[in-house]
Amino acid sequence: METTETPQGETTPPNGNALNGELYGYLAEYDTPGELVEAARKVKDAGYTAFDCYSPFPVHGIDPAMGIKRTILPLVIFGGGFTGAVGGLLLQWYCNAYSWGWNISGKPTWSIPANIPIAYECTILLAVLTSFFGVWAFNKLPQVWHPLFRSDRFTRVTDDGFFIGIEAADKRFDADKTKALLHDAGAISFESIYLDPDPEQKRMPKWIMGIIIASTAFALVPFAIAAKARNSKSSEPHIHIFPDMDFQPKLKSDQASDLFADGRGNRGDITNTVARGWLEDDEVFYHGLEHSDAGDAWTTGWPKTYPASQALPPELSGKPFSVDMRLLERGQNRFNIYCTPCHGYDAHGQGMVPTRLRSEGGNWDARNLVDPVGVVVTMPNGQLFNTISNGFNKMMGYAAQIPAWDRWAIVAYVRALQRAQNASHDDVPAADQGSIK
Amino acid sequence: MSLTKNLHPDEKYKAGKLGTQMMLAGTALVAVMGILSLILGAVHGDNFKRFLYAYVTGWMFAVSLSIGMMWLVLLHHLTRSRWSVVVRRIAEAITGAFPVLWIAGLAFILPVLFGYKDLYYWAHPGARENPDLIHKLGWLSPGMFTLRYVVYGAIFIGMSSYFSKKSREQDESGDPKISVTLRRASGPGMILFSLTTVMLAFDIMMSLAPSWYSTIYGVMFWGSSNVGAFAALGLIVLWLQRNGRLVHSVNEEHYHDIGKWMFSFTFFWAYTAFSQFMLQWYGNMPEETNWYKYRMFGDWQWVSIAILVGYWAFPFVFLMSRWTKRIVPSLVFFSVWQLVFHWLDMYWDVMPQYDWTTVTRGATSVNAGPLSGPIALHHVGFSPLDITVWLALVGFFLIGVARGLKGNLIPIKDPVLGLSLAHEQL
Repeated sequence: METTETPQGETTPPNGNALNGELYGYLAEYDTPGELVEAARKVKDAGYTAFDCYSPFPVHGIDPAMGIKRTILPLVIFGGGFTGAVGGLLLQWYCNAYSWGWNISGKPTWSIPANIPIAYECTILLAVLTSFFGVWAFNKLPQVWHPLFRSDRFTRVTDDGFFIGIEAADKRFDADKTKALLHDAGAISFESIYLDPDPEQKRMPKWIMGIIIASTAFALVPFAIAAKARNSKSSEPHIHIFPDMDFQPKLKSDQASDLFADGRGNRGDITNTVARGWLEDDEVFYHGLEHSDAGDAWTTGWPKTYPASQALPPELSGKPFSVDMRLLERGQNRFNIYCTPCHGYDAHGQGMVPTRLRSEGGNWDARNLVDPVGVVVTMPNGQLFNTISNGFNKMMGYAAQIPAWDRWAIVAYVRALQRAQNASHDDVPAADQGSIK
Repeated sequence: MSLTKNLHPDEKYKAGKLGTQMMLAGTALVAVMGILSLILGAVHGDNFKRFLYAYVTGWMFAVSLSIGMMWLVLLHHLTRSRWSVVVRRIAEAITGAFPVLWIAGLAFILPVLFGYKDLYYWAHPGARENPDLIHKLGWLSPGMFTLRYVVYGAIFIGMSSYFSKKSREQDESGDPKISVTLRRASGPGMILFSLTTVMLAFDIMMSLAPSWYSTIYGVMFWGSSNVGAFAALGLIVLWLQRNGRLVHSVNEEHYHDIGKWMFSFTFFWAYTAFSQFMLQWYGNMPEETNWYKYRMFGDWQWVSIAILVGYWAFPFVFLMSRWTKRIVPSLVFFSVWQLVFHWLDMYWDVMPQYDWTTVTRGATSVNAGPLSGPIALHHVGFSPLDITVWLALVGFFLIGVARGLKGNLIPIKDPVLGLSLAHEQL
């Protein structure tokens, strides 16, 4: 832009230039932030309101000097955060408690503690978005065009320039007095700024508008896909985004395969063979059965020995079977893990499952294993072993979960429970009988 | 406008007889409340158990204020803070209470060392039969416990006296290199401080419930400490100003920063407390939820609710605003409020463990340790001891702070004192 220099370092574009429209205002530069604040105070005290200060960084004390009130942005942000908290809670209430109740480890579907983290995140999210866009809105951004941009000197405002601009629209604006005021306040340079007569300048550039429209439209695509999926039916298979992950050249259990003649991916045992150590030929130990000429019968005693087999732990394999403290403690340990949920710790059949069922209005007890007139007390050991292995009525078999040697330990522990729960006065050692009479 | 200012020529930065006044007030509190507490403790008729539980509560309260200010001093040097220069001496004076509090703490450490069994369950013979505790008893044994107490004391007393001694040296020499030395020391100091604070909380307070687990506990204690410590800092500075000291140096810009710290730690404490709670609530494992069981149900639930509302929700909403931190009466209100609730937070941590349920089977009784048995039997109740012992320990704290009020109340030759004096919030 063509300018004329004046002795005071003042540059004024020649008015009447075809490039210039009407006067926008005056721009004065100051040397230091301190002088800027002082000058701003003078401008404010002279009664101007339509003016602004420009500096590369926030200047302490500029707000009171310019007479700017504190922003209400914090209150707006608080509103945003509060909306986030309430909205986050409502979202979770709708999803997890109202629309699709979801039982997670028995807790109520509407459990406040579980919802705090997401409500907290929503609070932060909305507070931050509000503050980000609030700053833009309160500063009237985005504004790609400003009359001050026409000054070459003003480009230094992002580097080391400190400016005051007074608009000609201010009621107190007076061509000479305002100029004198800015000079008296210590301006090191002075410019008159004229509006660009071309109205196109004030428009947002087309390419920016294009990007905004395109990205807004693009952001709607996921919603459009979701809306389509909700309102249409399709027989097409899933979209596979990572086909090499979804279709790997390996077989999972029970998958079909063309590799084998029978078309199955599973390979079963080879006919007429048994894996090493898995030959379960000890009928007493593995099935609780005694063979005799009269036929098979449940064994009433205990196995004589543990089979010598690689399937057994080395400390048991081939060793004599004895009902001792180790066996009972092992039995108690396994019983408390596998049996107590239904039968209870005392084997009366009132574990957590029946208790819970009763609290929900049902009525069912597991079998009382220690009932003195029940069937279990008189059951042969072999039959008890078989029940643990293969189940009975509602009870499923535990052979897949508990190995045979531990099932025998449980049998021994159940026998101990039956003895303990049905003990009579005579069972107390003679020395102590007097003390509990 | 200027970025820096000189110390006002009329500024009074010597405590003078104010230190003596505080010392006298502290001594009077210790004497009156101490004797009253001893009488009440003896009358309570439980072998001084309640007295010692209240003592641990009050001691943790008092020492937490010094811990919080130790953190401020370390942070000040670590981050080359500007605003805090004018109040740093007061913070250093508060850390000066460590030696007095260490000696005061011997009142519950020595009994444990010499065989008192009713304060910490791990010192009780019953703990040796508890399979949940047996593997912890090497660490939690009277000898080891006392040894750690000595180590913590050495670290805190050493650190606080080093930082305030160096700072006073600068008052004489004005050597800016001292600031650099302290900055270098503050990095490792901060690490040492964090570990010591966390371990102290584990040992003194958390081991009252020895079978419970929580790793964030120490951090939560530290957060709570800083709430109380910044409240105490604001009140002490204000008391000095009301008596004509520092009137030209400390203004609402500095109070605003003190209030901001109090606010941020109010939230930080709530954040860590909820982190601890939510994982245990969700995991739902008996060894963890037991601790909360006695605080969420029965009598203690009202204390828990009071803490949630009074220590977090109410101050959180109101301290968020700018004016509540800049207007002095409002800041005083929230400082006193948060100090009381900080004490209640310590009380809530310590006191539910007081009741060691005696489970009776036939004629024999089994002492099951803290937090056991049905909630219905779990009545701890309130005792006037809780307050009198607390006030006695506040007395010890005041004696300790008064020791630190000798000399200049402002680091007069700190190279960046001018920036602090001209401090302004944007």
